[in-house]
Amino acid sequence: MSLAIQTELKDKAATPAEGLVDKVTVRHLNFYYGQYRALADINVNLYLNKVTAFIGPSGCGKSTLLRIINRIYDLYPNQRADGEVLLDGANVLSPKQDLNLLRAKVGMVFQKPTPFPMTIYDNIAFGVRLYEQLSKADLDARVEDSLRRGAIWDEVKDKLDVSGLSLSGGQQQRLCIARTIAIRPEVILLDEPCSALDPISTAKIEELIDVLKRDYTIAIVTHNMQQAARTSDYTAFMYLGELVEFDNTTQIFTNPRMERTQDYITGRFG
Amino acid sequence: MALHQVMGRYAGRRRSNFIATALSIGAAAFGLTWLFLILTVLVIKGVGGLNLAVFTEMTPPPGGTGGLLNAIVGSLILTVLAVLFGTPLGILAGTYMAEYGRYAKLTMVVRFINDILLSAPSIVVGLFVYEIMVATMGHFSAWAGAVALAMLVIPVVVRTTEDMLLLVPNTLREASSALGLPRWIVIRDVAYRAARAGMITGVLLAVARITGETAPLLFTALNNQFFSWDFNAPMASLPVVIFQFALSPYEDWQQLAWTGALLITATVLGLSILARTLASKKVPL
Amino acid sequence: MDTHEHIVRSYEEELSALNNKIAKMGGLAEQVLGQSIDALEGRDPDLAAATIQQDEAIDELEKEIEEQAIVMIARRQPLAYDLRQIMAALRISTDLERIGDLGKNIAKRALAVVGEQQPKQLMLGLKHMGELALGQLKEVLDAYIERDADRALKVWYRDEDIDAMYNSLFRELLTYMMEDPRNIGLCTHLLFGAKNIERIGDHATNIAETVYFLVHGNTITDQRPKSDTTSSTPVPLRSAG
Repeated sequence: MSLAIQTELKDKAATPAEGLVDKVTVRHLNFYYGQYRALADINVNLYLNKVTAFIGPSGCGKSTLLRIINRIYDLYPNQRADGEVLLDGANVLSPKQDLNLLRAKVGMVFQKPTPFPMTIYDNIAFGVRLYEQLSKADLDARVEDSLRRGAIWDEVKDKLDVSGLSLSGGQQQRLCIARTIAIRPEVILLDEPCSALDPISTAKIEELIDVLKRDYTIAIVTHNMQQAARTSDYTAFMYLGELVEFDNTTQIFTNPRMERTQDYITGRFG
Repeated sequence: MALHQVMGRYAGRRRSNFIATALSIGAAAFGLTWLFLILTVLVIKGVGGLNLAVFTEMTPPPGGTGGLLNAIVGSLILTVLAVLFGTPLGILAGTYMAEYGRYAKLTMVVRFINDILLSAPSIVVGLFVYEIMVATMGHFSAWAGAVALAMLVIPVVVRTTEDMLLLVPNTLREASSALGLPRWIVIRDVAYRAARAGMITGVLLAVARITGETAPLLFTALNNQFFSWDFNAPMASLPVVIFQFALSPYEDWQQLAWTGALLITATVLGLSILARTLASKKVPL
Repeated sequence: MDTHEHIVRSYEEELSALNNKIAKMGGLAEQVLGQSIDALEGRDPDLAAATIQQDEAIDELEKEIEEQAIVMIARRQPLAYDLRQIMAALRISTDLERIGDLGKNIAKRALAVVGEQQPKQLMLGLKHMGELALGQLKEVLDAYIERDADRALKVWYRDEDIDAMYNSLFRELLTYMMEDPRNIGLCTHLLFGAKNIERIGDHATNIAETVYFLVHGNTITDQRPKSDTTSSTPVPLRSAG
């Protein structure tokens, strides 16, 4: 694409449109697995209380990008990021950043549901107990509130002392979402949350996302184009570690500017 | 290919299949037969001397009547001490290798050395402990025996702890880290809990291993004819007593030796079965 | 516009089939229009009758296209360009079906005036207008096949010419009718015929707008050139004699 369009796109990512507030700003982000550069000069925004979807073929770096925002990549050696990832203006990539506090603000739900080997109650209470000293009654209330917001309260209210592992896949994933919400984060990162689930569980979670976005800023990585079109307000298309196009969802799916975007979403990849 | 050619090749494959199956069943039967024979001999020879006195009276002098009380209690003491010394060390080492130092060079070295120690001849371990404890202290003791057995427990526990922790999927760790939980809580409340059954099995297997070890005890705890609670003094143990009594020319001693052997075998069998059931069923939270 | 083919070949084939149906429908519409004008001018009742029959095929195709479009939307969940292609096919088929109907109507008028004496001047005007409309139709259908938005835009602007011709024909026919009341019958049919041709021009312009949208993804921003003033043309007072 021409240099003019490239610059225009980058500027567009930097300055939000009217009524939009920047919650997370990614600027000139590069990411390396050892010597291999997985992300090249990424500039993108997550707007407050909006859902941003990341789409692209396998290996394009969308999950990698998500995992930088809460610095979960720090658990592994030989992975490093440079550039800026600003959460409310503060760069989370800075070595002075307290990782535990960061992850309390930025929650993450993974592709495979991962309930802890504990009761359903403890699954939720576990994280909460670490950050807050709540009385039994308050903790009960928090657990119930989280399970309600996670759209799973009705299905588990009578079996809170049963192992989390005994739930179905869709329920487990909603439990994980409830667990993430329980510690009151501000941003929620969803890494292909529905790819292991059946269509009805998927629909329930999509409805959940619609409700959650009123209070949280959400980023979702998905392989399912239609899901991205249904659930998100903004969409970013990535390819081979680069951000090809970032725009509001309607534009991307009805009249994208870049030909590569169009080729991908219509299934025309050469 | 024509149908008759295909059928011909198929018949050939069925023949090979039959031969291989027959050979494997034969080999299994062969092994099982010997196992069965050993157990049968043990039971026949040991059951005869099994009576209450075995569990209430001390080892007798040659020609007298008695039991195996001091040996049984001694074995129990030594085993408990060995597990108390060895298990925490083993678990912590295994935790380092699987969690904190998973990608560290040190872990590779430790794993290598641990695998060697796992199959180290126990008599060598006994001699080593003799040199550092018995010789320096000037006398045999239960402490030394426990230390020698602990050195056999540690490699087993390290290995099983590391293996079981490595089996815990990383997604579980990531999910707990993503909540902002500090590393040690992730390990203690999530990884350990998920690997619990396996780790307990590891300890049971270690106990099963040291239950029958004789050589290291020969140089460390030695033996004691009388009942003793003194850890600083030599202590009786079943394997050593069996060793002593079986080689003797006295019939009652030989009978006690058979009974002791039966007891040890039954214990090891029981522990193995317990370990199996624990590993297979889901341990409740 | 599309440089690559769909990975799923059957998707590509379905879109081609849709494309071809439109092309076929367009060809039939061109035929109906051309023949109906010839029938009117040449006072050929057999040609007129045959033309009326052909409209059925056009109606059939519209049904097929609509069905296929609905099935494709349900099965393929088309996005972006594909979505615009299917929407375009639906809209164009509607316009072509109307063009077919209007052409059929012209043929019917031809049957109605077959016995009458037709003034040369008027017939020439009508034929000229008809040829203009046919030209627009051919051009816009080519623009669709080629996915050429600029050609479509030219068709869009040229609708003015047809409107202008219609205005003058309208006045001429009024004059004719006022001169001799015995002409009213003939002129009324010719007037409706002319109106039909003007409507066909408008439908061709619709198709042009759809082609532009198909290619660019947004609608033409200019004001549509509308110079048909016949609805506000005052009836000239009866001249003496």
